[in-house]
Amino acid sequence: MKKVLCLLLALTMLFSLCACGAAVKENAGTKPAEADATDAPEAEAQDAKFVFLDEDLGVETYAIGFRKGEEELANTVSGAFKALVLDGTYEQIGSKYEDIKDYLCLKAEDIDPADLPERGSGDSSFTFKHGFDLDYPPYSFRKDDGSVGGFDVEMCQAVCDYLGWGYEPVPFNWEAKDMELNAKSCDCIWSGFTKEGREDMYTWGVTYSNNTQGILVAADSGIKTLADLAGKVVGVQIDTSAAELLADDQKALADTFAELKTYETYTVAYNDLKAGAIDAIAIDMTAGTYLVSTAS
Amino acid sequence: MSLYTMLSTMADGMLKTCAIFFLTVLFSMPLGMIVMLLRRSKIKPVQWIVKIYIAVMRGTPLMLQLLAWYFGPYYLFGWSIRGYRFTAIILGFTMNYAAYFAEIYRGGIESIPNGQYEAAEVLGYSKIQTFFKIILPQVIKTILPSVTNEVITLVKDTSLAFALAYSEVFALAKQIAASQTSFTPYVVAGVFYFIANYVVAFVMERIEKAFNYYK
Repeated sequence: MKKVLCLLLALTMLFSLCACGAAVKENAGTKPAEADATDAPEAEAQDAKFVFLDEDLGVETYAIGFRKGEEELANTVSGAFKALVLDGTYEQIGSKYEDIKDYLCLKAEDIDPADLPERGSGDSSFTFKHGFDLDYPPYSFRKDDGSVGGFDVEMCQAVCDYLGWGYEPVPFNWEAKDMELNAKSCDCIWSGFTKEGREDMYTWGVTYSNNTQGILVAADSGIKTLADLAGKVVGVQIDTSAAELLADDQKALADTFAELKTYETYTVAYNDLKAGAIDAIAIDMTAGTYLVSTAS
Repeated sequence: MSLYTMLSTMADGMLKTCAIFFLTVLFSMPLGMIVMLLRRSKIKPVQWIVKIYIAVMRGTPLMLQLLAWYFGPYYLFGWSIRGYRFTAIILGFTMNYAAYFAEIYRGGIESIPNGQYEAAEVLGYSKIQTFFKIILPQVIKTILPSVTNEVITLVKDTSLAFALAYSEVFALAKQIAASQTSFTPYVVAGVFYFIANYVVAFVMERIEKAFNYYK
């Protein structure tokens, strides 16, 4: 009896393995076929495989969060940030990141040059600890050469250079951000950090970017409006603005979904979307554009 | 990102993972022995305290324990936790794994029939001699497979250190996966864990063979 059971188990395992192998093979088989097809419509479909719906979920702004009550530090950093907007560093760093340059909302003409800290006016013995999430391109991520980079990281380094401070990166686990901040292992949360809904929880520095939350779907899915999402499975990353919106302001919309799936990272959600396991992803435009443009 | 850059970036994480692994094994195995002795102590209050310790360590998620070890000193006493990250990780892993090892050791010791103690006494062995010359060699033989299990689990559990923002190999895999939108870093991490565990299993098998002197 035991032997039969063992044999059965082994066979099931073998079959499941075979199934895996077949799936991979199938994929590998279809890829060259797709590449061979030179029809124009086919190529076009390839280009715009995933698109954002025209309707969005809402707009949010990104700012620098400091521990509550640390107005002085917030003002100094914001002042230096504004000075960097005036001298063009802000725009220059922004131009390196295609996906966000349209969302940078600070304009040099809106800034009053008075009251800004002088270059090198900071205490040179002070090291500013920049807390951020390394899972959040293009604001903060691991670059192609393996080093830490992104718009927020470069901006923060520029601010520290401007003030004459030392710079220390503290890449933390996003879920532990408040603990890290309150325990003083970092001085700020500066990582595409949404201000909306958190106004009273931190002392806020300058608002430097805005972003739109949207719905990413496969171009050939037939989903054109938010109403089409009724009965569909939608993915979202835990603890993001999109997730908060769907739990709060857009709760009525979320209730029409068949299921709202929460992922640890958008990478996995995106792969699920590609595989057809889910129908849409709720994500901000910059991160979504980045996903679609870099995904192989 | 080329595979070479990916590997060299992740190599740093692999070293950090190995650091957690070796230090935890180094500290938790002897500590487990002490915990086991206290657990078998004849003084009841000592036994109770150790029982509670084991219950907490086994009954709560390791990730939660790591957070408590790291942030606890600040939130409870207001101490600065600058530069304390790595110590907290080793402390968290060691205390957790010592509890498991203690129970494995206890299982081994209690599997030795009472007759052996009696026989040793008749032959004139002292208590210490009995333990080291007769009991311990047999205990090591019986517990080795369970210890291998636990050590392999430890290799994989090292990924929990990312809760404290420690860039071990799996954290790096996640970061690279996010920026490259690819699963390759996960495959690299998977291969790394597999090789590491294969080495552990191989070494443990060798040790088992060395203790197999009756066959």
